[in-house]
Amino acid sequence: MDHRPQAWGRPRDDVYGAYDYSYLQSGGPKQMTQSPVVTGTSVIGIKFKDGVILAADNLASYGSLARFTDVKRLRVFLGTSVVGFGGDVSDMQYLDRHLNELAIDESYEGGGAQEEHGEKGKLNAANLHTYLHKLMYRRRNDFDPLWNQVLVAGLDAAGKPHLSSVDLRGTAFTSPSLATGFGAALAQPIMRKYAATEEDAARLTRDQAVKVVQDCMKVLYYRDARSLDKYSIAVVTKDGVELKEDEQLEKQSWAFAEQIRGYGTQTV
Amino acid sequence: MAMFSQNPLMNGPNYSFSDAPKTSAPEGSREHRFDPYTDNGGSTLAIAGADFAIMAGDTRLTSGYSINSRHHPKVFKIGGTTADQHDATIVLSVVGFAADGEALKERLDSICKMYRYRHGKPMSVKACAQRLSTILYQKRFFPYYAYAILGGLDEAGKGAVYSYDPVGSYEREQCRAGGAAASLIMPFLDNQVNFKNQYVPGSGEGHALQERERRPLSRNEVEILVKDAFDGAVERHIEVGDGLQMMVITSNGVEEILLPLKKD
Amino acid sequence: MSSPFSINGGACVAMVGKDCVAIACDLRLGLQALTVSNNFPKIFQYGDNVFLGLTGLATDLSTVSDLFRYKVNMYRLREERNIAPKTFANLPFICGFDSIGCIDFAADFIVSGTATDQLYGMCESLWEPNLAPEDLFETISQALMSAVDRDALSGWGAYVYIIEKDKVTKRLLKGRQD
Repeated sequence: MDHRPQAWGRPRDDVYGAYDYSYLQSGGPKQMTQSPVVTGTSVIGIKFKDGVILAADNLASYGSLARFTDVKRLRVFLGTSVVGFGGDVSDMQYLDRHLNELAIDESYEGGGAQEEHGEKGKLNAANLHTYLHKLMYRRRNDFDPLWNQVLVAGLDAAGKPHLSSVDLRGTAFTSPSLATGFGAALAQPIMRKYAATEEDAARLTRDQAVKVVQDCMKVLYYRDARSLDKYSIAVVTKDGVELKEDEQLEKQSWAFAEQIRGYGTQTV
Repeated sequence: MAMFSQNPLMNGPNYSFSDAPKTSAPEGSREHRFDPYTDNGGSTLAIAGADFAIMAGDTRLTSGYSINSRHHPKVFKIGGTTADQHDATIVLSVVGFAADGEALKERLDSICKMYRYRHGKPMSVKACAQRLSTILYQKRFFPYYAYAILGGLDEAGKGAVYSYDPVGSYEREQCRAGGAAASLIMPFLDNQVNFKNQYVPGSGEGHALQERERRPLSRNEVEILVKDAFDGAVERHIEVGDGLQMMVITSNGVEEILLPLKKD
Repeated sequence: MSSPFSINGGACVAMVGKDCVAIACDLRLGLQALTVSNNFPKIFQYGDNVFLGLTGLATDLSTVSDLFRYKVNMYRLREERNIAPKTFANLPFICGFDSIGCIDFAADFIVSGTATDQLYGMCESLWEPNLAPEDLFETISQALMSAVDRDALSGWGAYVYIIEKDKVTKRLLKGRQD
């Protein structure tokens, strides 16, 4: 599988043959998103005993150029949920504006009495996921997709950890751990070692889960060419969202590079 | 080296989404800037018994070679009074493009609920089956890419299974397999449910042999058959696995069973 | 549909039993959807207990099976013995090849042809270890017949060979002629 956002939403090359990019040139007046431009790479998420952790690096790439190195791709919703965006950055910003409006409306609606009971609004993470699912599916039906895959983290109506994903075609699913883009190939296997099932995830402590996520971010930085060592990490529990947006990958070791054999002119 | 594939139709790996022969678009045509479809793999299976019906599906959700989720049900109760579907009597299974499958499920469910509200009684499977066909055909030129199977009990209390293609042609059947491993499971069903190619020993030579008489299978036999069919499919199809979800529809309601399948 | 592997259609399956093996093929020869012959066996014998099942383009079946016959005959003349008594060593043994020569050694069953999916589904659910010759015959027959009935390009009867240490039994199965 080709995990780059540029390959999302295309017919698979291994099934349909190489994609003919000449289709993308069109002089028509209405331009819908036909391909992502500035893109963010993987978002990863894992559930633990009391909540969910989400992480994404702070890079927005323009093709192979590391164009913007301080872009926050984790966005907080109503102080209770976090949405992590992979794929097109302008579509992310559109969605973020849209979700902020929604959050303001919700706060007005919910207001007063609920606020006193410590509730910050009506929409929990599960509701937000359903909302984004319907939004993305509607846009794909209009042939005007939002070129993102997003992860939603928070708590559901029963107060249990909630982690789910929606992509540009409106495909929605949940799992104890999730990863978009390259993370699906590189980070998911690591996270599944610790949270293969809901029961496993419910035994993970916060510290363990944070460690797993940090390890995954390191692996992604080692092997994903469109990644950065500066990243954001969010921990969502019933007490709210703790978002750190200036984390630095630590204790990297490039010693493994010495062990790589068999490329280029190298013979032994 | 695609031409060396043994695959009959596609010259490529035999995934469900590559079953249709491809034809290259004519010169100068400007099709699909964005491909709105994908296939999320998985398989479904339904068998009708004398006084029950069993709907089954695996719970794996894939995209390409990635497993997106190990627990994503494809079999749904339809048309109950409330959202928890505790009093539902009809079951729908969908396989193909998951987002379309879910949209289809939700439309059929709300239509069944409206029917219950307007008529003060639940929809019959027969009526629901016809309505599902209409829903699918209404999107004839931008179809729901979903292979649906509908199951329940008919007016006489007999098990009923209706199977569909993505644009709504449908048929009532004794049994049906759908999705990625349909081609692996369907001949097994012919052989074990409808006793095809089974003859009475010593009843003749060649074509004069007498066919083994069909008899309705018990619920227990069918449950074992479903598990065996999926165990076989899991072994030989990478898009099938993780969990087996079974809905058993009897006059007492719908019972849900979840069994493990291989996760590799 | 213009893949050389599916122009003529056809199905082959082989299974291991207890002290025996079985190999079977359908009898159809077609030109796309049109059936030209219902007596086109796809199993070839190269010794007392060496059989080869071939599926694919019919003209290549003839060429390849003749080429193998030539090579086996040359081997017999040069070595002054039948091929494979040592390699095959009376062991119940089956293996499969793809068209560019990759060998698939299997301890259970091998399938090939346009009904591959269907045969895998049938074999995976019907086959079990240590089947006696008569049981192996029933299993491979049921598997092949039910599989080809769900494949438009295979069918029209079948041949089944049961190979035991001291004898080979060949049976004709009359199948649906549609």
